[in-house]
Amino acid sequence: MKASKKQLIVITFMTLFASLVPYWVLGQTTISGTVTEANGTPILGANVYLDGTYDGASSDEAGNFSFETTEAGIQTLTVSFVSFETFIMAADVSQLKNITVALREDVNSLDTVVLSAGTFEASDNSKISVLKPLDVVTTASALGDFVGALQTLPGTTTVAEDGRLFVRGGDAGETQIFIDGIRVFTPYSPTTNNTPTRGRYSPFLFDGITFSTGGYSAEYGQALSSVLLLSTIDEPDQEKTDIAIMSVGGGLGHTQKWKRNSLSVNASYINLAPYIAALPDRNDWQRPFETISGEAVFRQQFEKGLLKVYGAFDRTNFRLKQEDINDLSGVDFKLNNNNLYTNLSYSGDLSSSWKIFGGGSYTMAKNKLGIEFTNIEDTENSTHLKIKLRKCFSSRFKLSFGAEQFLTDFKEGVEGEVFNGFYGYNNNMSVAFSEADIIFSRKFAIKLGLRGEYSDLFSEFTISPRVSVAYKTSKNSQLSLAYGDFYQQPNSEILKFTKELQAKKTQHFILNYQYSANNRIFRAEAYRKEYKSLISYDTEMPRFNSNYSNNGDGFAQGIDLFWRDDESIKNVDYWVSYSLLDTERKYKNYPIAAIPSFANTHNLSVVAKYWINDWKSQVGFSYQYGSGRSYTDINKSGFLQDKTKGYNSISLNWAYLISQQKILYFSINNVTGFKNVNGYQYADMPDANGVFNRRSLLPAADQFFFVGFFWTISDDGTDNQLDKL
Amino acid sequence: MKNLTLLLIVLISFQGIGQSKYQKGMTKAFELWQTDKSWDAANMFERIVTAEPDNWLPPFYAAQINVFNSFSEKDKTKVTEQLGKARDFINDAMAISKENAEIIVLEAQWYTAWIVFDGQQYGMKYSAKVAELYQKAMLLDPENPRVVMGKTEWDMRSAKFFGQPVDKYCPELQRAVGLYDTYETKGEFHPRGGKEYAQSVVEKTCKE
Repeated sequence: MKASKKQLIVITFMTLFASLVPYWVLGQTTISGTVTEANGTPILGANVYLDGTYDGASSDEAGNFSFETTEAGIQTLTVSFVSFETFIMAADVSQLKNITVALREDVNSLDTVVLSAGTFEASDNSKISVLKPLDVVTTASALGDFVGALQTLPGTTTVAEDGRLFVRGGDAGETQIFIDGIRVFTPYSPTTNNTPTRGRYSPFLFDGITFSTGGYSAEYGQALSSVLLLSTIDEPDQEKTDIAIMSVGGGLGHTQKWKRNSLSVNASYINLAPYIAALPDRNDWQRPFETISGEAVFRQQFEKGLLKVYGAFDRTNFRLKQEDINDLSGVDFKLNNNNLYTNLSYSGDLSSSWKIFGGGSYTMAKNKLGIEFTNIEDTENSTHLKIKLRKCFSSRFKLSFGAEQFLTDFKEGVEGEVFNGFYGYNNNMSVAFSEADIIFSRKFAIKLGLRGEYSDLFSEFTISPRVSVAYKTSKNSQLSLAYGDFYQQPNSEILKFTKELQAKKTQHFILNYQYSANNRIFRAEAYRKEYKSLISYDTEMPRFNSNYSNNGDGFAQGIDLFWRDDESIKNVDYWVSYSLLDTERKYKNYPIAAIPSFANTHNLSVVAKYWINDWKSQVGFSYQYGSGRSYTDINKSGFLQDKTKGYNSISLNWAYLISQQKILYFSINNVTGFKNVNGYQYADMPDANGVFNRRSLLPAADQFFFVGFFWTISDDGTDNQLDKL
Repeated sequence: MKNLTLLLIVLISFQGIGQSKYQKGMTKAFELWQTDKSWDAANMFERIVTAEPDNWLPPFYAAQINVFNSFSEKDKTKVTEQLGKARDFINDAMAISKENAEIIVLEAQWYTAWIVFDGQQYGMKYSAKVAELYQKAMLLDPENPRVVMGKTEWDMRSAKFFGQPVDKYCPELQRAVGLYDTYETKGEFHPRGGKEYAQSVVEKTCKE
């Protein structure tokens, strides 16, 4: 149909006229009212407007606003102000007169209470951060190991010869480590029995660390005491090449970026031979510690999500004569370890309120040990698969749920003069978990979780409830309470010999107080932990012919204190941690309940960092004290009845920025050379006088020196590796 | 019929003479900003964002006010809120206009605001990011005075930190000042400011 010219003009006119009608005929409508907080306090500067129009105003000191609009009919009035939920109301403009809008506080804002019981975070964004990401690598005693930095936090016990995390009376196996939410089965590098181990993975790949010393989320399980959550960097800053030359080896890294994806690769080689030649330690090395490792992270961004693929491989060798009181010539010990870890994860939005996370990891760990004439070879293949969905009903109510599958296949073969054997196990576990976050107000929040685990190996089903409540007591302080049940299966030391067992269990009760203001944080936490169903056996070591049962139990209770101050002294940032621990357990082959040798009563850490601008240097100091640890003196009656003297160590480091891209780094552990004794080894046989002789278990070296030169090559020449140290 | 046509002409010219709502709104917002009512201006820009969902300028200016006001703010809660808000607007602007040097410079300033607020915590973390953003902006729009000025000032800060002389940056600073006069602004209400500030930096740095 073709409209005539006349018709067209009429239509055009009508349209134009219609659009102009309000100007002439209806005129303008005034919209007015008051904006207040929920308690009636007026809000200044709130933005009040009709959505999609230009008409609006800001509220004045009394919270009053008034503006004119030419719109008519039903319109959407929007009132927004930072840290409050945006108010939206659809109404006829004629009714929008002298209205009162009370804005609800936005529970996502900084003032909201946080569920912090048991948790320490190292990140930039979190309200409960006690560490900054850089701390992991600039703490003097840590030597660039992320686990080392966490050992300066309360709740950890100084077990200097081990290097792993011992949390609140738990042994090292009770802490599980996760990368991007996916379990790491073999997180630590192998080492000799008098040298602390290190985390396998280089800290510079991570930008977020959450360390929970108890009462953690239902998303995590198979850890009686603690979880450590590491998240890899989402997007690297720039393309660069890193070169490291160190007194113990070297490293090379490169990051390449494309439009929506990036790849970082990193390789390092460590050989202690030159260091030991210059500064011999107490070990009689046949082949000094040598490790070669490579890591790669690939990240791909999608419209609504992020995919990360992480892979790491390392190979370690060493051989030495271990000192032994029963064998004057020493015990020949050699080790060859190959470890492969891959991890893939995807996180993204399904819709505006649904989020999805899925991922999996695969670990292949091969150990070849030679102890005198016995050769042991073990292989572990483990997989973890996980899927999680999160629905955000509102900013005040969020629900997440998910499922997990763990698969472990462990095989060990022993070939020796006295014993030959081959054994292993298959451990499959299926898990479902769910968690609800309910934020009642900025002052009061609660988290409820439930985790169910089914073990194929034991044909056992366990249910763990978790609850955490937080209440804000004032602007800068809050109280939190947490309770949880935690189950964990025995480790491969036990499982390779028996399957007729159940999971071990702990219950955590935690009360936490936190004050934080003005770059100062104070935390105090009291806790009680009940251990049940621990594994006991009737031989000196777990053996294939031991009798195993689940009748062990114990407890741990204590107080953890933390203080950090980045404000009082210019250019100085320091923190102090103190832990008081009271624990006893009866498990393994203990005849009575006793304090295990990895636990002590008092632990203190003082860490300080001083930035000297004129020298372009950061100087770091750390002091660690651990009271004596228990040991059994077999010349006296009793069990674990004696204590070693306390542990002391002062460490210093100095990072000097030669230029934007070159850093020189020095560090010394145990500067004053304290003679620390970790325990004693007693002879199997008494001497002529009927006395069992003993030897002190000493660290391989009292002191450790480190010198490194780090060079970063990037296009613009400003990046450096300070954050790697 | 004749009357009708006449009326039509009158009506059309009526529409033509008056500014559009968008122009009125933007003009009003800039007026508020210039009269030290920057928060009212930010609110005004925010309102225009909802009315003009396909225009990158309103969210750009809403973000810019939040970023600029953060440079002088010492309260952590406020800085976090303002920069959080600015971030949302920067993301909005970037979603509308990709590969836009002006927005990239603003993003670099956003990171710089964090560094200014707490150098110890954010300096090392964000420096590389800022450098990378200026590099990227430079590739996209090498003659843009705000890009040249931002990048040069940033490089100068780094040099100053390491005790290196800064007078070698003077030719580039002076070039930036000159570019403010020659750079062709791409449209109405597009960024054009910064010359006075650039001149003050030149006066401070280059004494000759």
